[in-house]
Amino acid sequence: MAEFTCRLKKYRQLKNLTQEQLAAQVGVRRETIMRLEKAQYNPSLKLAIDISRAVEAPIEELFVFD
Amino acid sequence: MKKNQVKIWVGCGIFCIAAVLLSVWHAVTFNDSRLVAPMDFGSYSFNVKDLPMLLSISLTCVYVLALLIQLFISIGKSKRNAAKTNMTRKVNPKLGFLGLLGLLGFAGFWSYPVRGDITPFVFFLFFGFFGFFYEGKLSGTFMDERFRENTARAQLNTYKITFSITLIALVILCQGRLFGSLEYTLIATIIVLSLTLALGIFLPEYLLYRYDHDGQTEEGGE
Repeated sequence: MAEFTCRLKKYRQLKNLTQEQLAAQVGVRRETIMRLEKAQYNPSLKLAIDISRAVEAPIEELFVFD
Repeated sequence: MKKNQVKIWVGCGIFCIAAVLLSVWHAVTFNDSRLVAPMDFGSYSFNVKDLPMLLSISLTCVYVLALLIQLFISIGKSKRNAAKTNMTRKVNPKLGFLGLLGLLGFAGFWSYPVRGDITPFVFFLFFGFFGFFYEGKLSGTFMDERFRENTARAQLNTYKITFSITLIALVILCQGRLFGSLEYTLIATIIVLSLTLALGIFLPEYLLYRYDHDGQTEEGGE
């Protein structure tokens, strides 16, 4: 898996969203959001776009590849 | 399946067993144990007294056939439901105890020397049902993209492991010199293949559970 840094937690908290709420918005399980925030899961392009729309942040800000 | 339907199926099953037991009693008492004791069917001629036995056996066969058809319909329905709702099928983890049926495979070590029958070794396959323990734990889980990826990863790793075991076992066994007898070698092959297939049934469920839950203890919700 490609290594990356995920800033999702920061942007999610800025939007006052819980993991559960964000998961429901983008149609995944809360565990998937947890793994994403720990950069333990490399999301599909569709999920990345959905998340970036949900937290209103650009994808390249959310997922930073070294 | 609804509870009422289950009751009807169980009732029919009990009726079939009772019918067979009654007709066996009838055949033993009034019909010289015809169709109960081993007989030569090549020279069989119909006798009215055979009727209860023939009817009860036909009824049982129809019941078993209908049960199998119902089973396939239920499996198909639960698969369609899973695809529609994106949730894993509902399975009771206690079904995992069906894996104990795999112990029936050891009957082969008795049946082969006594009757030359090696079929019971195939029952080792039932060890695969232990996978229901893990499938049950994941039943009713929403299948998002990470879950589907994990499912594919578990299936792929299972294929790799089982094909490797099969290949290694076959290469070793096909030398034919391991037990000094070709017959024993073939029996060992059947045992290894049955156990490998059982592993192929069990492992995807176990691996999927592991992939889904690894590191879960350190996870906290917000």
